Amino acid sequence: MMSSRTRFWCAGLLSAGVVAVVTFMGAPAQAATYVPVSGAGSTWSQVALDQWRRNVVQYGIKINYAGTGSSDGRNQFRNGTVDFGVSEIPYGLKDSGVVDAPPSRGYAYMPIVAGGTSFMYNLVIGGKRVTNLRLSGVNIAKIFTGSIKTWNDKAIAADNPLLRLPSTKIVPVVRSDGSGTTAQFSTYLATKFPSLWNAYCAKAGRSTPCGVTSNYPVVPGAGFVAQSGSLGVSGYVSQSANVGTITYVEYAYALNTGFPVVKVLNRAGYYVEPTAYAVAVGLQGATVNTNSKSPAYLTQQLGGVYDNPDKRTYPLSSYSYMIIPTRQEFGFSSDKGYTLGAFAYYFLCQGQQQADVLGYSPLPINLVKAGLEQVRRIPGVDVQSINIAKCNNPTFSASGKNLLAQLAPAPPACDKQGATQCTTGTGGQRRTSTAVSNGTPSQGGSSAAGGQADATSTTTGTVGTSSGASSGGGTGASLGNEVQATSQLVPPSNGWTTQRSAALIAVVMLLALIVVPPLVARILQAQGSAKANPR
Amino acid sequence: MTTTIPVRPEQSESVSARVLTHPSGPTDKIYAAVTRTSGLIVLLIMSLVGVFLAYRASQALRVQGLSFLTTQAWEPDSRNFGIAAILIGTILIALVAIAVAVPLAVGTALYISEYAPRRLKQTLISLVDLMAAVPSIVYGLWGLFFLQGNVTGVARWITSYFGWLPFLRVDGFKNSDPLAGPAGTLTSSTFIAGLVVGFMVTPIATSVMREVFSQAPVGEREGALALGATKWGMIRSVVLPFGKGGIIGGTMLGLGRALGETITVYLIISPVFTIQPHILQTGATSIAATIAGKFGAASAFGTSALFAAGLVLFLVTLVVNFIASSIVAKSRSGAVSDA
Repeated sequence: MMSSRTRFWCAGLLSAGVVAVVTFMGAPAQAATYVPVSGAGSTWSQVALDQWRRNVVQYGIKINYAGTGSSDGRNQFRNGTVDFGVSEIPYGLKDSGVVDAPPSRGYAYMPIVAGGTSFMYNLVIGGKRVTNLRLSGVNIAKIFTGSIKTWNDKAIAADNPLLRLPSTKIVPVVRSDGSGTTAQFSTYLATKFPSLWNAYCAKAGRSTPCGVTSNYPVVPGAGFVAQSGSLGVSGYVSQSANVGTITYVEYAYALNTGFPVVKVLNRAGYYVEPTAYAVAVGLQGATVNTNSKSPAYLTQQLGGVYDNPDKRTYPLSSYSYMIIPTRQEFGFSSDKGYTLGAFAYYFLCQGQQQADVLGYSPLPINLVKAGLEQVRRIPGVDVQSINIAKCNNPTFSASGKNLLAQLAPAPPACDKQGATQCTTGTGGQRRTSTAVSNGTPSQGGSSAAGGQADATSTTTGTVGTSSGASSGGGTGASLGNEVQATSQLVPPSNGWTTQRSAALIAVVMLLALIVVPPLVARILQAQGSAKANPR
Repeated sequence: MTTTIPVRPEQSESVSARVLTHPSGPTDKIYAAVTRTSGLIVLLIMSLVGVFLAYRASQALRVQGLSFLTTQAWEPDSRNFGIAAILIGTILIALVAIAVAVPLAVGTALYISEYAPRRLKQTLISLVDLMAAVPSIVYGLWGLFFLQGNVTGVARWITSYFGWLPFLRVDGFKNSDPLAGPAGTLTSSTFIAGLVVGFMVTPIATSVMREVFSQAPVGEREGALALGATKWGMIRSVVLPFGKGGIIGGTMLGLGRALGETITVYLIISPVFTIQPHILQTGATSIAATIAGKFGAASAFGTSALFAAGLVLFLVTLVVNFIASSIVAKSRSGAVSDA
């Protein structure tokens, strides 16, 4: 009698599973002309790319992207295993004496987004998280080449007059994979502090001069930690036990993990956080290759950014690039070109509105225009004539100047190099200020308990889709208009959508996957034994 | 006390096998041919893999020669690379994994086959099989984002009290320093990577061992109990000796998997390319993780160097499996275990 009941059960579960599968497959049956396109590369710009990918799903565009590091992205594009690559640095650079050869397939660079390579850290004074750390470029170089070893080093204290820094060991966390972030950071080190960088490289067994490298050299036993991917390094630093760690990673990752970033000293003597404004200002010093005949068309030279005399500059600002195919080869069909083109039009125009909220900075008008020209070179693209005034890009103005850079607020006086220091927080902790701990130790001690509660209650990210998230701290006014535009693009999040039902079905199926096999096995066994010895 | 248990006389060996006179029909012939071919194909594929690895590795091996075996570095583009550190790192991670997995697997297998109530047994078996089916990236992410933060306290305790043992020492770690976090000293170590890999290989080892334990002869079990043995006594005198082959087989199977485990190790460790004998200290390395980490961004010569590392891993795994199968084949339960 048991068997009939169990059969009913099995049938019920099976049919539920079938219904779920049908629901899944039935959903995206629109826009037949779009075909899936796949890409790989940078994790620096992955947060923005992932958001854009999700946004275009509603149009039926499916973009697959694997954040495996810029070096891997360039290699995979060269070998023809992906349709597009994303990288911070172009082909043709010499790394450890080996030239990264350009691919034989047709390719072009297209800037996708700007951003700041930030220094995310995990540091605690008296049980309370430090959120307002400031460092000069030379101190950053010394930390990441192992010559400053503890947080209470005099050089760091000079940058932070109001912080009584602990004698905790500094643990620099670097990337273990071939990374564009490492390439950007090592370009900075090799340009600005060649002697420190070369000495360090030599210690790590590299041939000098070291120059730009995608693989961060690590000296064994120096107390460095290497992790793979931006998620790996930011995940390591954000583990609450890992006090004393510091890493280089795109600003978005600090926002997502709710951790502060270092304010870096610029040429004008101000310590600046890599906000969308500061990056936009900094990149006005960048030299972009404007020779459209050159294979390196649109690539960047950042020397002018490091030394940009504008006091609002973040010195480690840079662009990220998509490497797009320009010929139909290696399986890149015109259908794929059609899809990739539509995606590119989306992120060059509307997608830029979200850059600030995500932790990046929108592209200026000249690069958007040039990027739109590059899209035409994708085979199979449906050329659109986009009225870029309608893109709502916060950098665009009627005069053609970079509006974002014009509007960028001047850094507060307390962020000037000197005897004082702002107490406001940065990055993912911008709403948590840090108490003055130097000179008034009692205050630091008494605020410890309350401070911790404060920190936990305000860690919620500013990255969501809500409006006005970018205000506060040293940032100044929020970019109101672009946030409003965002809400039109993203489907409303309240109300029961198909996506939510799909998620619910997925959860139910996962539970069924865990529960059903043992259940069925037991039932079958019970049946088998009942047949073997009938009572 | 094991001598009190009468051992069943091995009759089958004294009597010579009866000769089969039935003529083999076409079905038998086809069956024999098919099985023989598939056996040969497996061998052929294995040797082709070896040849391919050796061929691709030859460029790097020719440059580096014998120093490939002794160099502790991995900078192929500077022509400074070798297997010494990463091979030892691989073995250390695998040993930690086995040290975790074997006691856990023996205990689980014994519980399921001997102690678990009948109703629970099948559920437990399915659960263990399900654990074996969890992808290694899931274990890796769990290890990186959850376990690592919570297990450094254990590492701290071990090194505080047993740090006088050379391999448990952690350089730069002072227990007296309350400010010192685990970062840079106790995280991303051989120990943590080995721990997670150990959890991964446990289910595989468990299912091999459980299968063998459950086949311990009922007659001998009943004999032991009839002679007054307790349940544990019966297990010690009948099940464990019978299942020795399965225990060793399961261990070796787990070791083989632990040696080749890639993504979990890659996620957790902080790669260093010198010999790191301190298993609790930050910095570890393994061949598979090095290949996974360096392959995407490698130059042509760097790829060849990685193939050379892969060749070494291939040979080591082959040797481990040969030893395992020969041990298992010699033991009494060897014929029935599938290791």
